Amino acid sequence: MEFEAVIGLEIHVEMKTNSKMFSSGPVSFGIDPNTEVNIVDMAFPGTMPVPNKQAVINAIRVSNALHMSIDDTVIFERKNYFYSDLPKGYQITQQFRPIGREGYLTINVNGEDKKIGIERLHMEEDTCKQLHSWDFSLLDYNRAGIPLIEIVSKPEMRSGEEAAKYVEKIRSIVSFLDVSDGKMEEGSLRCDVNISLREKGTEKFGTKVEIKNLNSLANIQKAIEFEISRQSIILDFGGHIEQETRRFDEGSKETVLMRVKTDAVDYKYFTEPNIAPIKLSKEFIEGAIKTSPELAEHRLERYKSLGLNDYDSSLLLSNKETSDYFDEVNKSGANPKLIANWIIGDVQSYLNKNGISIKEFKVAPKHLGGLIKLVEANKVSNKQAREIFEHMLVEDKDPELYVKELGFVQVSDEGELLSIISELLDANPNLIADYKAGKDRVLGFFVGQIMKKTQGKANPSLTSKLLVQEIMKR
Amino acid sequence: MKYLSKSITEIHNALLNNEVTPLELVKAAIELAKNDTSNAFEYICEKEALEKVNNLDPNLKDSLFYGVPVVIKDNFSTKDIPTCGSSNILNGYVPIFSSEVVLRLEKAGAIIIGKTTLDELAMGGRGTTGHKGITYNPWDKSHTHLIGGSSCGSAAAISAGIVPFAIGSDTGDSVRKPANNAGLVGLKPTWGRISRFGLFPFATSLDHVAYFTRNVVDSAIALNVLAGRDDKDASSSFKEVEDYTKGIDDSIKDKKIAVIKEIVNSVSDKDVIKAFNDSVEGLRKAGAIVEEVSMDIKLLKAIYPTYIIISCAEATSNNANLDGIKFGAREPGESFEEVMINTRTKGFSTLIKRRFVIGSYSLLRENADELFIRAQKCRRLIVNAFTEVLKEYDAIYCPAAPGVAPLISGSGESLSDEYLIADNYLAFANMSGMPSITLPIGFKGGLPFGANLTSKIFDESNLLNIAYNLEKVTGLKDLVAKEEK
Repeated sequence: MEFEAVIGLEIHVEMKTNSKMFSSGPVSFGIDPNTEVNIVDMAFPGTMPVPNKQAVINAIRVSNALHMSIDDTVIFERKNYFYSDLPKGYQITQQFRPIGREGYLTINVNGEDKKIGIERLHMEEDTCKQLHSWDFSLLDYNRAGIPLIEIVSKPEMRSGEEAAKYVEKIRSIVSFLDVSDGKMEEGSLRCDVNISLREKGTEKFGTKVEIKNLNSLANIQKAIEFEISRQSIILDFGGHIEQETRRFDEGSKETVLMRVKTDAVDYKYFTEPNIAPIKLSKEFIEGAIKTSPELAEHRLERYKSLGLNDYDSSLLLSNKETSDYFDEVNKSGANPKLIANWIIGDVQSYLNKNGISIKEFKVAPKHLGGLIKLVEANKVSNKQAREIFEHMLVEDKDPELYVKELGFVQVSDEGELLSIISELLDANPNLIADYKAGKDRVLGFFVGQIMKKTQGKANPSLTSKLLVQEIMKR
Repeated sequence: MKYLSKSITEIHNALLNNEVTPLELVKAAIELAKNDTSNAFEYICEKEALEKVNNLDPNLKDSLFYGVPVVIKDNFSTKDIPTCGSSNILNGYVPIFSSEVVLRLEKAGAIIIGKTTLDELAMGGRGTTGHKGITYNPWDKSHTHLIGGSSCGSAAAISAGIVPFAIGSDTGDSVRKPANNAGLVGLKPTWGRISRFGLFPFATSLDHVAYFTRNVVDSAIALNVLAGRDDKDASSSFKEVEDYTKGIDDSIKDKKIAVIKEIVNSVSDKDVIKAFNDSVEGLRKAGAIVEEVSMDIKLLKAIYPTYIIISCAEATSNNANLDGIKFGAREPGESFEEVMINTRTKGFSTLIKRRFVIGSYSLLRENADELFIRAQKCRRLIVNAFTEVLKEYDAIYCPAAPGVAPLISGSGESLSDEYLIADNYLAFANMSGMPSITLPIGFKGGLPFGANLTSKIFDESNLLNIAYNLEKVTGLKDLVAKEEK
């Protein structure tokens, strides 16, 4: 039998706001456990939640990027359950009135655009981080209360590749909007997959299986592919699929059973009474959108208008930091195409070699821009520019200073070059004849001689131009 | 020490005239607290109060609360002072921060001399369920009548003349009911007027900071100190704070006051009715237009069940942090579930657990439509009905309770109109957030009883003005239960 996979994703994005969703506690990562918490995060009796304005702005921006309709009233609900990861014994979330509803994003699979519908986007607070051992559990409340947005897609994806593309697009959106780091491996973007199979051509949904613990795009795709084949085999042999939660095991590249789902937990939702409904003015919503950082797709348009090709643009846009760096260098007024070449080439290979990200790259964008402009103005050769770049990597200084330090000032004075050229040509009439007879390499000899005379400081392109011009005069 | 049974203004003048010092006041109050026979105190802050009074900033001298000893209900977080909400589950809990009301009182120069008993975690109306047992009514030396709750200790401390001011909290009538039973002025301002930051939540949508004074002017003085926006409480209002003492003694000529017929009719005690009717006549003589207004009795009878469902539902969630993992004396268990179950089983009294079960049951998916959501709809209808009355009138005026403090031995519960309406209608002001004040209007058998005035939200100035005139009519103010010699 031929099956079709029905896939829906729930994505949790941790926001990188200054403070937590409902407290002034700091949002930070990789700090000693339970040191970055305040009385609200720890649910001391009598403390009260105060919603984070920036988190609301972020949620509006992401909703807008996902073409969603934005609710102008912010209301929160309590999700009640007794568990050790919740300081308060309940989580504040948006169950009934998500801030964003009914949107979509477009992915490109095999050269074709496909719209994936998005059901809802809501704000909530993260729970604490738990580490379970066989006889004890460790709780780190640093994470408790960090603002989250949850994005729930419609079940409109059909393959692991589509799912991976969808997550990649969400990641690009939240990182370009400065909402989140979007790092799956660090848990700032977490994805749960819901997947069921049905006979191709039928409409009815099959039994849904949830897959958790997916910490990379590749694993999402692998887990879905494994699950499709696992469920196909069961169905082909006449079995039926259990409603269960599975996790992806990285070692075996398989999904393994976590728990069989019984009746859904009753979370006894009710409106969070500490936060009266907040009416968002039209100006506030429009302001949040208008001041929104530029999305990757808008940057792509801009890069194309700068004359960059699709390939270079997509490399620059593969992460926000690289794109930001390009934009900074571009402010120098250097040629965008040359800037792209430098970043994709020399800069990237340096980063790769040293295993660092562009965030840690020490060369100031204006210095790199200055260097490229020196090349454009023929003040240094490409070779010299690379040598200067090497120095800048050691100590980031204005490239003009290196030009002087390294004695790279080129002889670009036409009169001076012309007198050297005439002298040379006068002394070698036979070589002129050779050149005219078609021996191009003679030109190389002449250039070499000129360089020798000027100690390598002659401007190479000007030199060649003048040389050919003078030979042809004779 | 005669000063502690005086009004805040009188104490202030005595301090300014150097008749008495803050230290003397505080020492005397602590001494009285130590000899309290009503079971009013969870904790007497002797060391802390003496330290505070010795370091009192003399620049605060002009503040009316400067050097004034006060007590705080033990469900308000107080930094470095044990706070347990009269519940065993929080025995030994010492908060690391103070409630906003505590900070404001301290900033005004008040000295906290004690934390007072309450019905466990403020859930109860009789003042009998705190972990230290029954709190008695200082007006009744035989200890046979209730003082009522849940702010029982605060009511007892002020009516016994230990302090002139006591902070309480009011979710259903937890200040306004004991005020009735103890001859006090109990004010619950508008929801959002006073920050609740630091108040242990019972039912957030109904919880209010409220307080006791012995006269209406003191109530206005206290509101001047306590009212105002607090960024730590998102439900606190940005609305400007007025000087609530200003114009308090203005005439109430032509002010319109509504008496709800069905509420008055649900009171069977003839003496209460007589005193109430006398006070109405007095208000009329003072120029007010007092008219009888009718309200749907079904709505009035629905106030109590609606209150129970909403408050219990919110309470089960609000107290979920007391699970032995974050807070509460931990009981051992094999799993986190067992730790939580054992801790909560041991830490909470049966009555509290009963409320949690009711609340949880009302919120269950299969019951919510019939219980919790229906209660919310009912709340809306109740609020609309009272709002409608206040469109035409400046205040609603009714007896605050069926009569004097009931007997401790009575069960307190029945489904009579008197119980459902007269004894429990005050929760309408919690549902609507309207400011509401109870003050004494008479005595029966040596015990006081009172009436209640409620006005539109944020209309405290008007409410206090009418209350002040009512106090003039009855002549009942600055009442203190005298110790038998």
